[in-house]
Amino acid sequence: MLLELSDVTLRYGRIQALHGISLTVNEGEIVALIGANGAGKTTTMRAISGLRPIASGRIIFNGEDITRLRPDQRVLRGLCQAPEGRGIFPGMTVLENLEMGAYTRRDKAGIAADMKRVFELFPRLAERRNQPGGTLSGGEQQMLAVGRALMAHPKLLLLDEPSMGLAPMLIQQIFSIITEINKQGTTVLLVEQNAQQALSRAHRAYVLETGRIVKAGTGQELLHDEAVREAYLGVA
Amino acid sequence: MNVELLTSQFWDLTVTGLALGAIYALVALGYTLVYGLLQLINFAHSEVFMVGTYAALIAWGWAGLTQESPIPGLLGMIGYLVIGLIAAAVASGGTALIVERVAYRPLRRRNVPRLVFLITAIGVSVVISELVGVLTDRHRAGIPRLVERSTVISIGDFEITNVQLGVIVAAIAMMVGLDLFINRTRLGRGIRAVAQDPDTAALMGVNQDRVVMLTFLLGGLLAGGAALLYDISLENTRYNVGFLLGIKAFTAAVLGGIGNLRGALLGGLLLGVVEQYGSALWGNEWRDVVAFVVLVVILMFRPTGLLGESLGKARV
Ligand SMILES: Nc1ncnc2c1ncn2[C@@H]1O[C@H](COP(=O)(O)OP(=O)(O)OP(=O)(O)O)[C@@H](O)[C@H]1O
Ligand SMILES: [Mg+2]
Repeated sequence: MLLELSDVTLRYGRIQALHGISLTVNEGEIVALIGANGAGKTTTMRAISGLRPIASGRIIFNGEDITRLRPDQRVLRGLCQAPEGRGIFPGMTVLENLEMGAYTRRDKAGIAADMKRVFELFPRLAERRNQPGGTLSGGEQQMLAVGRALMAHPKLLLLDEPSMGLAPMLIQQIFSIITEINKQGTTVLLVEQNAQQALSRAHRAYVLETGRIVKAGTGQELLHDEAVREAYLGVA
Repeated sequence: MNVELLTSQFWDLTVTGLALGAIYALVALGYTLVYGLLQLINFAHSEVFMVGTYAALIAWGWAGLTQESPIPGLLGMIGYLVIGLIAAAVASGGTALIVERVAYRPLRRRNVPRLVFLITAIGVSVVISELVGVLTDRHRAGIPRLVERSTVISIGDFEITNVQLGVIVAAIAMMVGLDLFINRTRLGRGIRAVAQDPDTAALMGVNQDRVVMLTFLLGGLLAGGAALLYDISLENTRYNVGFLLGIKAFTAAVLGGIGNLRGALLGGLLLGVVEQYGSALWGNEWRDVVAFVVLVVILMFRPTGLLGESLGKARV
């Protein structure tokens, strides 16, 4: 098991956003987390990456209890998140943004190889390498966010709505890239509104409702589940 | 209004203004760096500077240089400059780090409103300044002369002394160093990342506390450099020298666009020069008034300062 959350609760002041989340991600998997707006998907990601402290529960990563570690310490252990809303550094060029992804790394050769890989996956970024991140289009920023997370060469890649705001063509492309990255050996935990795509690409998935996991199964199982189809795939 | 004085001494005033403005600019960088990172105005920065002016003086005393000493030769001068620079940098850098660690970090942990930071900053400033005031009986301390003044460049009306030239060149060298550090190094990129988006910076593995410490340290080192230049040019210091100079430097930072590094340079030089012109036109007692009137007028037309965009938003 690469990642295990046991009974994680989290509060924003008086609001309790997570009511005891337990989930696992195995090495080599793509695991999807789906749910309606406000279900707590982003909050779960923040708990995993350490941006918000959790109120109770435990988070184990790669056999180590990381519950009390700072976000940067978790990155050092191989966890990298592309945040919701992209989080591009507006005043940095595309190249500098990508270099930020590799901030904790010292292996120059490895960084150069990953930079090459990112530019192969996203040729558009290569063309715009010296453009400030803040002036990229929304779709380009999304590519940059995913590419930047890859630059960390993480064991576990956390993606929060990577298809948000993209044209249908690009959505297809982003999901193919996620599958490709996974085939190359990166484990992926994916939050998505686009349940159709996410479920058909994921090995396993969890359904989140108001801070609780209400369903779990393989991607295919959930894709054919009556209730899931009705609630998240817009099929009556 | 004495226009004749301004025109007859134009170059003299300009050079004097630039040499003083370069010192403002160095101190202004400390305000602007911290502001760009934390949106916090570190009013204690003026005291970080003041401590440096004393540190160099004390180090020189230990090394045997007093006001009775003859002016040292070239080698001696270089030796004393190095000693003074190290002392001022260590004292100012150290003070900045301690202030961050003792006063601000606990507040950052608790996510308190900005106003609390502001009051704390003012409090720290008063404490340090009063502490030095009590220790020195509020006396003005004379600083031994390190460099005999001589004119090094003279073209027509334009004349500049070795001290003025040295101060301007040294200040600009320090600023170029800072600019390269911020824009070209990994740690510098870490500072910019936290300034632009702290949460995402954390997700990329940037240790925020370390970046904040580094930023305070950089500001402190520059203030130490400024303190050395101040000692050499003005040749005296007092427990309250940080107050007015700090306000001027802060003004320079706002004038250039707070959070913008190059703005601090521009603001500092501009303020230094305008002050000199003002004092020629209306008399020396109007010097500070002129400086602040300029600030108010510029901010009326350009509320974000001359270069506008901040460290947070723009490429620095
Ligand atoms: N900083 C915050 N302060 C207070 N409440 C918050 C904060 N962030 C999120 N919440 C609340 O926590 C709940 C879960 O939010 P979260 O962002 O995790 O939802 P989500 O599943 O990612 O939704 P979406 O699909 O819209 O992104 C929501 O009710 C939200 O209002
Ligand atoms: Mg979300």
